[in-house]
Amino acid sequence: MSLYTYLFISAVIFTIGSYGIITQRSGIKILMCIELLLNSANLNLVAFSSFNGNATGQVFAIFSIAIAAAEAAIGFAILVALFRVRDTINLDDINILRW
Amino acid sequence: MNYNLLAPEILLTLLALVIVILGLLMRDVSKNMLGYVSAAGLFASIVYVLGNGMNEMGSYFYDSLVIDPLSQIFKLIFLIVSLIVVIASIEYFRDNRSQDEYYALLLLATVGMMVVASANDLVALFVGFELASMSTYVLAGFEKKNPSSLEAALKYFIIGSLSSALMLFGMSLVYGITGSTNIPAIIEFFKSNPMVATSSLDIIAMIFLVAGFGFKMALVPFHMWAPDTYEGSPGVVSSLLAAGSKKMGFVAAFRVLVLALVAIRIDIQMTFAILAIITMTYGNIVAISQRSIKRMLAYSSIAQAGYISLAFVVMTQMSIAGGILLALGHALMKGGAFLAVALVGYMVLSDNKNAKNTDDLGNFAGLGKRAPITAFSLFVFFLALAGIPPSAGFVGKFVLFYSITIEAINQASSWLLLVVIIAILNSALSIYYYARVIKYMYVLPPNGEKIREPAPYVVAILLAVIGTIGIGLYPEPFIQMAMNAAKVLGV
Repeated sequence: MSLYTYLFISAVIFTIGSYGIITQRSGIKILMCIELLLNSANLNLVAFSSFNGNATGQVFAIFSIAIAAAEAAIGFAILVALFRVRDTINLDDINILRW
Repeated sequence: MNYNLLAPEILLTLLALVIVILGLLMRDVSKNMLGYVSAAGLFASIVYVLGNGMNEMGSYFYDSLVIDPLSQIFKLIFLIVSLIVVIASIEYFRDNRSQDEYYALLLLATVGMMVVASANDLVALFVGFELASMSTYVLAGFEKKNPSSLEAALKYFIIGSLSSALMLFGMSLVYGITGSTNIPAIIEFFKSNPMVATSSLDIIAMIFLVAGFGFKMALVPFHMWAPDTYEGSPGVVSSLLAAGSKKMGFVAAFRVLVLALVAIRIDIQMTFAILAIITMTYGNIVAISQRSIKRMLAYSSIAQAGYISLAFVVMTQMSIAGGILLALGHALMKGGAFLAVALVGYMVLSDNKNAKNTDDLGNFAGLGKRAPITAFSLFVFFLALAGIPPSAGFVGKFVLFYSITIEAINQASSWLLLVVIIAILNSALSIYYYARVIKYMYVLPPNGEKIREPAPYVVAILLAVIGTIGIGLYPEPFIQMAMNAAKVLGV
Protein backbone atom coordinates (compact mmCIF):
# COMPACT_ATOMS: atom_id res chain seq x y z
CA MET A 1 0.00 0.00 0.00
CA SER A 2 1.29 3.45 -0.80
CA LEU A 3 1.55 6.40 1.56
CA TYR A 4 -1.48 7.93 -0.10
CA THR A 5 -3.70 5.05 0.96
CA TYR A 6 -2.86 5.68 4.59
CA LEU A 7 -3.30 9.41 4.26
CA PHE A 8 -6.62 8.85 2.54
CA ILE A 9 -7.86 6.55 5.31
CA SER A 10 -6.73 9.00 7.97
CA ALA A 11 -8.46 11.87 6.19
CA VAL A 12 -11.67 9.81 6.03
CA ILE A 13 -11.46 9.03 9.76
CA PHE A 14 -10.82 12.70 10.50
CA THR A 15 -13.86 13.72 8.47
CA ILE A 16 -16.10 11.18 10.21
CA GLY A 17 -14.87 12.49 13.58
CA SER A 18 -15.50 16.13 12.80
CA TYR A 19 -18.90 15.33 11.24
CA GLY A 20 -19.80 13.47 14.43
CA ILE A 21 -18.77 16.34 16.69
CA ILE A 22 -20.98 18.71 14.72
CA THR A 23 -24.07 16.48 14.50
CA GLN A 24 -24.12 14.32 17.63
CA ARG A 25 -25.91 15.50 20.79
CA SER A 26 -24.80 12.85 23.29
CA GLY A 27 -21.72 13.58 25.38
CA ILE A 28 -20.41 10.02 25.02
CA LYS A 29 -20.66 10.06 21.25
CA ILE A 30 -18.78 13.36 21.14
CA LEU A 31 -15.99 11.80 23.21
CA MET A 32 -15.83 8.91 20.73
CA CYS A 33 -15.56 11.38 17.85
CA ILE A 34 -12.71 13.20 19.57
CA GLU A 35 -10.91 9.86 19.87
CA LEU A 36 -11.42 9.35 16.12
CA LEU A 37 -9.81 12.72 15.42
CA LEU A 38 -6.81 11.98 17.62
CA ASN A 39 -6.38 8.52 16.12
CA SER A 40 -6.50 9.80 12.58
CA ALA A 41 -3.56 12.03 13.49
CA ASN A 42 -1.78 9.03 15.02
CA LEU A 43 -2.28 7.02 11.84
CA ASN A 44 -0.76 9.91 9.90
CA LEU A 45 2.23 10.04 12.23
CA VAL A 46 2.94 6.32 12.02
CA ALA A 47 2.49 6.22 8.24
CA PHE A 48 4.84 9.17 7.74
CA SER A 49 7.31 7.69 10.19
CA SER A 50 7.40 4.41 8.32
CA PHE A 51 7.78 6.07 4.91
CA ASN A 52 10.30 8.68 6.06
CA GLY A 53 12.32 5.94 7.73
CA ASN A 54 12.75 7.72 11.06
CA ALA A 55 11.22 6.74 14.37
CA THR A 56 10.25 10.17 15.73
CA GLY A 57 6.71 9.88 14.41
CA GLN A 58 6.12 6.57 16.18
CA VAL A 59 7.39 8.01 19.45
CA PHE A 60 5.07 10.98 18.94
CA ALA A 61 2.17 8.58 18.30
CA ILE A 62 2.87 6.72 21.56
CA PHE A 63 2.88 10.01 23.48
CA SER A 64 -0.37 11.05 21.89
CA ILE A 65 -2.04 7.68 22.62
CA ALA A 66 -1.14 8.05 26.29
CA ILE A 67 -2.46 11.62 26.29
CA ALA A 68 -5.68 10.57 24.54
CA ALA A 69 -6.27 7.99 27.29
CA ALA A 70 -5.87 10.65 29.99
CA GLU A 71 -8.13 12.98 28.05
CA ALA A 72 -10.87 10.35 27.77
CA ALA A 73 -10.65 9.68 31.52
CA ILE A 74 -11.14 13.37 32.29
CA GLY A 75 -13.96 13.64 29.79
CA PHE A 76 -15.86 10.75 31.32
CA ALA A 77 -15.25 12.14 34.82
CA ILE A 78 -16.77 15.47 33.82
CA LEU A 79 -19.74 13.69 32.20
CA VAL A 80 -20.34 11.55 35.30
CA ALA A 81 -20.22 14.61 37.58
CA LEU A 82 -22.62 16.42 35.26
CA PHE A 83 -24.99 13.45 35.15
CA ARG A 84 -25.13 13.37 38.95
CA VAL A 85 -26.19 17.01 39.11
CA ARG A 86 -28.37 17.32 36.02
CA ASP A 87 -29.51 13.73 35.21
CA THR A 88 -28.64 14.25 31.56
CA ILE A 89 -25.63 14.34 29.27
CA ASN A 90 -27.56 15.47 26.24
CA LEU A 91 -25.80 18.60 25.06
CA ASP A 92 -29.07 20.26 24.04
CA ASP A 93 -30.09 20.35 27.71
CA ILE A 94 -26.77 21.78 28.88
CA ASN A 95 -27.72 25.40 28.40
CA ILE A 96 -27.54 27.39 31.63
CA LEU A 97 -24.72 29.56 30.32
CA ARG A 98 -25.70 31.66 27.38
CA TRP A 99 -26.00 35.29 26.52
CA MET B 1 24.15 17.84 32.61
CA ASN B 2 23.26 20.98 34.49
CA TYR B 3 19.56 21.28 35.28
CA ASN B 4 19.85 24.66 37.01
CA LEU B 5 17.71 26.49 34.51
CA LEU B 6 14.94 23.91 34.70
CA ALA B 7 14.80 24.05 38.49
CA PRO B 8 11.46 25.93 38.63
CA GLU B 9 9.69 23.26 36.56
CA ILE B 10 11.26 20.43 38.55
CA LEU B 11 10.44 22.12 41.86
CA LEU B 12 6.80 22.71 40.94
CA THR B 13 6.27 19.18 39.59
CA LEU B 14 7.69 17.64 42.74
CA LEU B 15 5.66 20.02 44.88
CA ALA B 16 2.46 19.03 43.06
CA LEU B 17 3.15 15.33 43.64
CA VAL B 18 4.04 15.91 47.29
CA ILE B 19 0.82 17.88 47.79
CA VAL B 20 -1.27 15.02 46.34
CA ILE B 21 0.38 12.53 48.70
CA LEU B 22 0.17 14.87 51.71
CA GLY B 23 -3.51 15.41 50.92
CA LEU B 24 -4.14 11.69 51.36
CA LEU B 25 -2.50 11.66 54.77
CA MET B 26 -3.77 14.95 56.18
CA ARG B 27 -6.92 15.67 58.08
CA ASP B 28 -9.34 18.02 56.30
CA VAL B 29 -8.81 20.92 58.72
CA SER B 30 -5.07 21.05 58.20
CA LYS B 31 -5.38 21.16 54.41
CA ASN B 32 -5.68 24.95 54.56
CA MET B 33 -1.89 25.17 54.88
CA LEU B 34 -1.38 23.61 51.42
CA GLY B 35 -2.22 26.96 49.84
CA TYR B 36 0.64 28.62 51.68
CA VAL B 37 2.99 25.78 50.66
CA SER B 38 2.07 26.20 46.96
CA ALA B 39 2.44 29.97 47.21
CA ALA B 40 5.88 29.52 48.75
CA GLY B 41 6.89 27.14 45.93
CA LEU B 42 5.69 29.55 43.25
CA PHE B 43 7.42 32.47 44.95
CA ALA B 44 10.68 30.49 45.13
CA SER B 45 10.36 29.73 41.40
CA ILE B 46 9.86 33.40 40.56
CA VAL B 47 12.93 34.33 42.60
CA TYR B 48 14.84 31.57 40.84
CA VAL B 49 13.83 32.68 37.34
CA LEU B 50 14.72 36.29 38.14
CA GLY B 51 17.94 35.22 39.87
CA ASN B 52 19.03 33.25 36.81
CA GLY B 53 18.64 36.40 34.78
CA MET B 54 16.37 36.88 31.83
CA ASN B 55 19.06 36.40 29.20
CA GLU B 56 20.17 32.85 29.98
CA MET B 57 20.42 30.38 27.13
CA GLY B 58 20.24 26.62 27.41
CA SER B 59 19.02 23.52 25.67
CA TYR B 60 17.79 20.32 27.30
CA PHE B 61 16.66 16.79 26.46
CA TYR B 62 18.06 16.49 22.93
CA ASP B 63 17.09 20.07 22.17
CA SER B 64 13.41 19.55 22.92
CA LEU B 65 13.31 22.26 25.59
CA VAL B 66 15.21 25.52 25.26
CA ILE B 67 15.75 28.35 27.69
CA ASP B 68 16.00 31.79 26.10
CA PRO B 69 14.71 35.30 26.89
CA LEU B 70 11.35 34.51 25.24
CA SER B 71 10.75 31.45 27.40
CA GLN B 72 11.96 33.26 30.53
CA ILE B 73 9.58 36.21 30.18
CA PHE B 74 6.58 33.95 29.54
CA LYS B 75 7.57 31.69 32.43
CA LEU B 76 7.60 34.76 34.60
CA ILE B 77 4.09 35.70 33.41
CA PHE B 78 2.74 32.21 34.16
CA LEU B 79 4.41 32.05 37.58
CA ILE B 80 3.15 35.48 38.64
CA VAL B 81 -0.39 34.68 37.50
CA SER B 82 -0.36 31.37 39.37
CA LEU B 83 1.05 33.00 42.48
CA ILE B 84 -1.70 35.62 42.51
CA VAL B 85 -4.36 32.97 41.88
CA VAL B 86 -3.01 30.70 44.63
CA ILE B 87 -2.96 33.52 47.16
CA ALA B 88 -6.60 34.33 46.40
CA SER B 89 -7.54 30.63 46.48
CA ILE B 90 -6.37 30.38 50.09
CA GLU B 91 -9.57 32.23 50.94
CA TYR B 92 -11.79 31.00 48.09
CA PHE B 93 -11.25 27.31 48.83
CA ARG B 94 -10.82 27.59 52.61
CA ASP B 95 -12.16 24.46 54.38
CA ASN B 96 -12.83 22.73 51.07
CA ARG B 97 -11.95 19.06 51.56
CA SER B 98 -10.43 18.58 48.10
CA GLN B 99 -8.07 21.55 48.32
CA ASP B 100 -5.04 19.29 47.90
CA GLU B 101 -6.19 18.26 44.43
CA TYR B 102 -6.91 21.89 43.55
CA TYR B 103 -3.41 23.08 44.37
CA ALA B 104 -1.75 20.06 42.75
CA LEU B 105 -3.69 20.59 39.50
CA LEU B 106 -2.98 24.31 39.54
CA LEU B 107 0.76 23.70 39.91
CA LEU B 108 0.71 21.07 37.14
CA ALA B 109 -1.17 23.49 34.87
CA THR B 110 1.57 26.05 35.54
CA VAL B 111 4.26 23.51 34.71
CA GLY B 112 2.44 22.67 31.47
CA MET B 113 2.35 26.32 30.46
CA MET B 114 6.04 26.69 31.30
CA VAL B 115 6.89 23.66 29.17
CA VAL B 116 5.00 25.21 26.25
CA ALA B 117 6.93 28.45 26.79
CA SER B 118 10.26 26.68 26.37
CA ALA B 119 9.23 23.95 23.90
CA ASN B 120 11.54 23.60 20.92
CA ASP B 121 10.02 20.39 19.61
CA LEU B 122 6.49 19.62 18.49
CA VAL B 123 6.28 16.64 20.88
CA ALA B 124 7.21 18.79 23.87
CA LEU B 125 4.83 21.50 22.70
CA PHE B 126 1.93 19.05 22.43
CA VAL B 127 2.63 17.39 25.78
CA GLY B 128 2.91 20.76 27.52
CA PHE B 129 -0.31 21.98 25.93
CA GLU B 130 -2.16 18.87 27.02
CA LEU B 131 -0.78 18.95 30.56
CA ALA B 132 -1.97 22.52 31.00
CA SER B 133 -5.31 21.93 29.24
CA MET B 134 -6.24 18.78 31.10
CA SER B 135 -5.45 20.30 34.48
CA THR B 136 -7.57 23.31 33.65
CA TYR B 137 -10.51 21.17 32.40
CA VAL B 138 -10.70 19.71 35.88
CA LEU B 139 -10.17 23.06 37.59
CA ALA B 140 -13.03 24.63 35.58
CA GLY B 141 -15.40 21.96 36.90
CA PHE B 142 -14.01 22.01 40.39
CA GLU B 143 -17.28 22.98 42.12
CA LYS B 144 -18.81 19.62 41.37
CA LYS B 145 -22.19 20.37 42.97
CA ASN B 146 -22.59 23.53 40.89
CA PRO B 147 -24.24 22.86 37.50
CA SER B 148 -22.83 25.95 35.81
CA SER B 149 -19.28 25.09 36.83
CA LEU B 150 -19.71 21.59 35.35
CA GLU B 151 -21.29 22.99 32.22
CA ALA B 152 -18.33 25.35 31.85
CA ALA B 153 -15.97 22.39 32.25
CA LEU B 154 -17.83 20.29 29.66
CA LYS B 155 -17.86 23.05 27.07
CA TYR B 156 -14.22 23.83 27.71
CA PHE B 157 -13.34 20.13 27.50
CA ILE B 158 -15.10 19.50 24.19
CA ILE B 159 -13.73 22.59 22.46
CA GLY B 160 -10.32 22.16 24.07
CA SER B 161 -9.87 18.57 22.98
CA LEU B 162 -11.17 19.40 19.51
CA SER B 163 -8.51 22.08 19.27
CA SER B 164 -5.82 19.66 20.50
CA ALA B 165 -6.91 17.16 17.87
CA LEU B 166 -6.73 19.79 15.12
CA MET B 167 -3.31 20.84 16.36
CA LEU B 168 -2.07 17.24 16.47
CA PHE B 169 -3.33 16.64 12.94
CA GLY B 170 -1.52 19.76 11.76
CA MET B 171 1.65 18.65 13.53
CA SER B 172 1.44 15.20 11.94
CA LEU B 173 1.26 16.83 8.50
CA VAL B 174 4.20 19.11 9.30
CA TYR B 175 6.17 16.07 10.45
CA GLY B 176 5.26 14.25 7.25
CA ILE B 177 6.41 17.15 5.08
CA THR B 178 9.65 17.90 6.87
CA GLY B 179 10.55 14.55 8.46
CA SER B 180 11.38 16.18 11.77
CA THR B 181 9.61 17.44 14.86
CA ASN B 182 12.36 19.83 15.94
CA ILE B 183 11.15 23.39 15.33
CA PRO B 184 14.47 24.91 14.11
CA ALA B 185 14.95 21.91 11.81
CA ILE B 186 11.45 22.42 10.41
CA ILE B 187 12.11 26.11 9.75
CA GLU B 188 15.45 25.22 8.14
CA PHE B 189 13.70 22.72 5.87
CA PHE B 190 11.11 25.28 4.80
CA LYS B 191 13.81 27.82 4.05
CA SER B 192 15.85 25.43 1.91
CA ASN B 193 12.83 23.94 0.09
CA PRO B 194 10.60 26.87 -0.85
CA MET B 195 8.72 24.69 -3.34
CA VAL B 196 7.57 22.29 -0.63
CA ALA B 197 6.90 25.13 1.77
CA THR B 198 4.27 26.66 -0.49
CA SER B 199 2.63 23.37 -1.45
CA SER B 200 -1.07 22.99 -0.74
CA LEU B 201 -0.43 20.24 1.84
CA ASP B 202 1.76 22.61 3.81
CA ILE B 203 -0.84 25.36 3.71
CA ILE B 204 -3.45 22.90 4.99
CA ALA B 205 -1.09 21.95 7.81
CA MET B 206 -0.66 25.62 8.72
CA ILE B 207 -4.42 26.16 8.72
CA PHE B 208 -4.80 23.28 11.18
CA LEU B 209 -2.10 24.79 13.41
CA VAL B 210 -3.66 28.27 13.29
CA ALA B 211 -7.04 26.75 14.21
CA GLY B 212 -5.51 24.75 17.08
CA PHE B 213 -3.69 27.73 18.56
CA GLY B 214 -6.59 30.06 17.74
CA PHE B 215 -8.91 28.08 20.02
CA LYS B 216 -6.48 28.52 22.89
CA MET B 217 -6.04 32.22 22.19
CA ALA B 218 -9.85 32.57 21.78
CA LEU B 219 -9.63 34.47 18.50
CA VAL B 220 -12.91 34.92 16.62
CA PRO B 221 -14.15 32.54 15.07
CA PHE B 222 -12.66 30.11 17.61
CA HIS B 223 -13.91 31.99 20.67
CA MET B 224 -17.30 30.38 21.47
CA TRP B 225 -16.07 28.50 24.53
CA ALA B 226 -14.42 31.42 26.29
CA PRO B 227 -17.39 33.42 27.65
CA ASP B 228 -19.25 30.32 28.84
CA THR B 229 -16.18 28.85 30.48
CA TYR B 230 -15.07 32.06 32.16
CA GLU B 231 -18.57 32.73 33.46
CA GLY B 232 -19.24 29.26 34.83
CA SER B 233 -15.88 28.39 36.36
CA PRO B 234 -15.02 29.29 39.95
CA GLY B 235 -13.83 32.91 40.02
CA VAL B 236 -10.18 32.17 40.77
CA VAL B 237 -10.03 29.57 37.99
CA SER B 238 -11.46 32.06 35.46
CA SER B 239 -8.60 34.30 36.46
CA LEU B 240 -6.07 31.53 35.74
CA LEU B 241 -7.73 30.67 32.42
CA ALA B 242 -7.93 34.23 31.15
CA ALA B 243 -4.56 35.35 32.39
CA GLY B 244 -2.47 32.20 32.05
CA SER B 245 -3.96 29.65 29.71
CA LYS B 246 -4.59 32.21 27.00
CA LYS B 247 -0.98 33.41 27.01
CA MET B 248 0.06 29.80 26.44
CA GLY B 249 -1.61 29.95 23.03
CA PHE B 250 0.26 33.15 22.27
CA VAL B 251 3.69 31.86 23.22
CA ALA B 252 3.11 28.73 21.11
CA ALA B 253 2.02 30.92 18.21
CA PHE B 254 5.12 33.11 18.62
CA ARG B 255 7.37 30.07 18.64
CA VAL B 256 5.86 28.08 15.78
CA LEU B 257 3.60 30.19 13.61
CA VAL B 258 5.67 33.34 13.37
CA LEU B 259 8.74 31.39 12.29
CA ALA B 260 6.94 28.96 10.03
CA LEU B 261 4.91 31.64 8.31
CA VAL B 262 7.95 33.84 7.78
CA ALA B 263 9.75 30.87 6.28
CA ILE B 264 6.85 30.04 4.00
CA ARG B 265 6.61 33.67 2.83
CA ILE B 266 2.90 33.53 2.09
CA ASP B 267 1.25 36.90 2.22
CA ILE B 268 -0.40 36.51 5.60
CA GLN B 269 -0.45 40.15 6.67
CA MET B 270 -3.96 40.65 5.37
CA THR B 271 -5.27 37.39 6.87
CA PHE B 272 -4.06 38.19 10.36
CA ALA B 273 -5.11 41.83 10.11
CA ILE B 274 -8.68 40.79 9.26
CA LEU B 275 -8.69 38.13 11.99
CA ALA B 276 -7.41 40.64 14.57
CA ILE B 277 -9.87 43.38 13.59
CA ILE B 278 -12.87 41.04 13.61
CA THR B 279 -11.77 39.64 16.97
CA MET B 280 -11.38 43.00 18.71
CA THR B 281 -14.51 44.56 17.24
CA TYR B 282 -16.68 41.53 18.00
CA GLY B 283 -15.32 41.28 21.56
CA ASN B 284 -15.91 44.96 22.31
CA ILE B 285 -19.36 45.18 20.77
CA VAL B 286 -20.71 42.06 22.48
CA ALA B 287 -19.16 43.12 25.80
CA ILE B 288 -21.32 46.26 25.80
CA SER B 289 -24.57 44.31 26.12
CA GLN B 290 -23.48 42.07 29.03
CA ARG B 291 -24.94 42.34 32.51
CA SER B 292 -22.77 39.57 33.94
CA ILE B 293 -19.41 41.15 34.72
CA LYS B 294 -17.51 37.88 34.30
CA ARG B 295 -18.99 37.55 30.83
CA MET B 296 -18.16 41.15 30.05
CA LEU B 297 -14.56 40.53 31.12
CA ALA B 298 -14.51 37.39 28.96
CA TYR B 299 -15.55 39.35 25.87
CA SER B 300 -13.11 42.13 26.68
CA SER B 301 -10.49 39.40 26.97
CA ILE B 302 -11.39 38.30 23.44
CA ALA B 303 -10.93 41.91 22.33
CA GLN B 304 -7.51 42.01 24.02
CA ALA B 305 -6.55 38.82 22.18
CA GLY B 306 -7.39 40.74 19.03
CA TYR B 307 -4.99 43.54 19.98
CA ILE B 308 -2.22 41.09 20.86
CA SER B 309 -2.62 39.24 17.57
CA LEU B 310 -1.90 42.51 15.75
CA ALA B 311 1.70 41.53 16.52
CA PHE B 312 1.39 38.82 13.84
CA VAL B 313 0.37 41.36 11.22
CA VAL B 314 3.65 43.12 10.66
CA MET B 315 5.98 40.72 12.51
CA THR B 316 8.78 43.18 13.16
CA GLN B 317 10.86 42.78 16.27
CA MET B 318 9.14 45.76 17.84
CA SER B 319 5.62 44.57 17.13
CA ILE B 320 6.37 41.18 18.67
CA ALA B 321 7.83 42.98 21.69
CA GLY B 322 4.61 45.00 21.88
CA GLY B 323 2.58 41.80 21.75
CA ILE B 324 4.64 40.31 24.58
CA LEU B 325 4.28 43.49 26.67
CA LEU B 326 0.54 43.56 26.15
CA ALA B 327 0.37 39.86 27.05
CA LEU B 328 2.27 40.61 30.28
CA GLY B 329 0.03 43.55 31.08
CA HIS B 330 -3.13 41.67 30.19
CA ALA B 331 -2.13 38.80 32.48
CA LEU B 332 -1.91 41.19 35.44
CA MET B 333 -4.96 43.34 34.63
CA LYS B 334 -7.33 40.56 33.66
CA GLY B 335 -6.14 38.19 36.38
CA GLY B 336 -6.66 40.91 38.96
CA ALA B 337 -10.04 41.93 37.56
CA PHE B 338 -11.39 38.37 37.66
CA LEU B 339 -10.16 38.03 41.26
CA ALA B 340 -11.91 41.26 42.23
CA VAL B 341 -15.11 39.96 40.65
CA ALA B 342 -14.67 36.70 42.57
CA LEU B 343 -14.40 38.77 45.75
CA VAL B 344 -17.64 40.56 44.94
CA GLY B 345 -19.27 37.15 44.44
CA TYR B 346 -17.96 36.08 47.83
CA MET B 347 -19.41 39.24 49.33
CA VAL B 348 -22.84 38.65 47.76
CA LEU B 349 -22.86 35.05 48.97
CA SER B 350 -22.05 36.15 52.51
CA ASP B 351 -25.10 38.46 52.38
CA ASN B 352 -27.37 35.75 51.07
CA LYS B 353 -26.38 32.08 50.88
CA ASN B 354 -28.65 31.24 47.93
CA ALA B 355 -27.89 34.25 45.72
CA LYS B 356 -27.90 33.55 41.98
CA ASN B 357 -25.85 35.46 39.40
CA THR B 358 -23.34 36.73 41.92
CA ASP B 359 -21.48 38.69 39.23
CA ASP B 360 -24.52 40.66 38.05
CA LEU B 361 -23.91 44.35 37.41
CA GLY B 362 -26.46 45.30 40.11
CA ASN B 363 -24.24 43.76 42.79
CA PHE B 364 -21.54 46.31 41.99
CA ALA B 365 -23.72 49.24 43.03
CA GLY B 366 -21.96 51.34 45.65
CA LEU B 367 -19.00 49.00 45.80
CA GLY B 368 -16.78 52.02 46.45
CA LYS B 369 -18.41 52.33 49.89
CA ARG B 370 -18.89 48.63 50.63
CA ALA B 371 -15.44 47.37 49.69
CA PRO B 372 -13.14 50.32 48.99
CA ILE B 373 -9.96 48.36 48.16
CA THR B 374 -11.70 46.05 45.70
CA ALA B 375 -13.53 48.92 44.04
CA PHE B 376 -10.35 50.95 43.67
CA SER B 377 -8.47 47.95 42.22
CA LEU B 378 -11.25 47.26 39.73
CA PHE B 379 -11.12 50.95 38.79
CA VAL B 380 -7.37 50.64 38.09
CA PHE B 381 -7.77 47.38 36.13
CA PHE B 382 -10.57 48.78 33.99
CA LEU B 383 -8.67 51.94 33.13
CA ALA B 384 -5.59 49.84 32.38
CA LEU B 385 -7.60 47.48 30.16
CA ALA B 386 -8.94 50.50 28.28
CA GLY B 387 -5.33 51.58 27.76
CA ILE B 388 -5.15 54.74 29.84
CA PRO B 389 -1.67 55.77 31.09
CA PRO B 390 0.16 55.17 33.34
CA SER B 391 -0.57 51.45 33.20
CA ALA B 392 0.75 48.22 31.74
CA GLY B 393 -2.12 48.21 29.25
CA PHE B 394 -1.08 51.59 27.91
CA VAL B 395 2.58 50.62 27.51
CA GLY B 396 1.73 47.42 25.64
CA LYS B 397 -0.77 49.06 23.33
CA PHE B 398 1.51 52.03 22.71
CA VAL B 399 4.51 49.92 21.64
CA LEU B 400 2.29 47.66 19.53
CA PHE B 401 0.39 50.41 17.71
CA TYR B 402 3.55 52.49 17.30
CA SER B 403 5.38 49.57 15.66
CA ILE B 404 2.54 49.05 13.20
CA THR B 405 2.43 52.76 12.38
CA ILE B 406 6.17 52.77 11.64
CA GLU B 407 5.75 49.74 9.42
CA ALA B 408 2.80 51.41 7.67
CA ILE B 409 4.97 54.45 6.93
CA ASN B 410 7.88 52.28 5.79
CA GLN B 411 5.72 50.26 3.43
CA ALA B 412 3.68 53.34 2.52
CA SER B 413 0.56 51.23 2.92
CA SER B 414 -2.61 53.03 3.87
CA TRP B 415 -4.50 49.92 4.96
CA LEU B 416 -1.98 49.19 7.76
CA LEU B 417 -2.65 52.70 9.01
CA LEU B 418 -6.35 51.94 8.84
CA VAL B 419 -5.75 48.85 10.99
CA VAL B 420 -4.12 51.01 13.66
CA ILE B 421 -6.97 53.54 13.55
CA ILE B 422 -9.57 50.78 13.93
CA ALA B 423 -7.63 49.36 16.88
CA ILE B 424 -7.50 52.78 18.59
CA LEU B 425 -11.22 53.34 17.97
CA ASN B 426 -11.84 49.94 19.52
CA SER B 427 -9.91 50.98 22.63
CA ALA B 428 -12.13 54.03 22.85
CA LEU B 429 -15.24 51.90 22.45
CA SER B 430 -14.15 49.65 25.31
CA ILE B 431 -14.07 52.63 27.70
CA TYR B 432 -17.87 52.72 27.44
CA TYR B 433 -18.54 49.42 29.16
CA TYR B 434 -15.73 49.83 31.69
CA ALA B 435 -17.04 53.29 32.62
CA ARG B 436 -20.51 51.85 33.14
CA VAL B 437 -19.20 49.52 35.85
CA ILE B 438 -17.18 52.37 37.38
CA LYS B 439 -20.37 54.44 37.52
CA TYR B 440 -22.15 51.59 39.32
CA MET B 441 -19.29 51.31 41.81
CA TYR B 442 -18.86 54.97 42.68
CA VAL B 443 -22.04 56.85 41.80
CA LEU B 444 -24.94 54.58 42.65
CA PRO B 445 -25.97 54.10 46.31
CA PRO B 446 -24.82 50.86 48.01
CA ASN B 447 -27.36 48.09 48.62
CA GLY B 448 -25.80 46.69 51.78
CA GLU B 449 -23.38 47.70 54.53
CA LYS B 450 -19.59 47.72 54.40
CA ILE B 451 -17.99 44.29 54.45
CA ARG B 452 -14.67 42.91 55.58
CA GLU B 453 -12.41 42.15 52.62
CA PRO B 454 -10.51 38.91 53.36
CA ALA B 455 -6.75 39.47 53.64
CA PRO B 456 -5.56 36.87 51.05
CA TYR B 457 -7.80 38.39 48.36
CA VAL B 458 -6.59 41.87 49.16
CA VAL B 459 -2.93 40.79 48.97
CA ALA B 460 -3.48 39.05 45.62
CA ILE B 461 -5.41 41.94 44.10
CA LEU B 462 -2.96 44.55 45.35
CA LEU B 463 -0.06 42.57 43.86
CA ALA B 464 -1.79 42.79 40.49
CA VAL B 465 -2.46 46.52 40.98
CA ILE B 466 1.18 47.19 41.85
CA GLY B 467 2.30 45.24 38.79
CA THR B 468 -0.13 47.06 36.50
CA ILE B 469 0.82 50.54 37.66
CA GLY B 470 4.51 49.65 38.16
CA ILE B 471 4.95 48.63 34.53
CA GLY B 472 3.13 51.81 33.50
CA LEU B 473 5.34 54.12 35.57
CA TYR B 474 8.65 52.43 34.89
CA PRO B 475 8.38 50.62 31.54
CA GLU B 476 12.01 50.68 30.31
CA PRO B 477 13.26 47.38 31.81
CA PHE B 478 10.12 45.59 30.66
CA ILE B 479 10.36 46.99 27.12
CA GLN B 480 14.01 45.94 27.09
CA MET B 481 13.05 42.43 28.29
CA ALA B 482 10.37 42.12 25.61
CA MET B 483 12.76 43.36 22.93
CA ASN B 484 15.34 40.75 23.95
CA ALA B 485 12.65 38.09 23.85
CA ALA B 486 11.53 39.17 20.39
CA LYS B 487 15.14 39.16 19.16
CA VAL B 488 15.29 35.40 19.80
CA LEU B 489 12.77 34.81 17.06
CA GLY B 490 15.09 36.56 14.62
CA VAL B 491 12.31 38.04 12.48
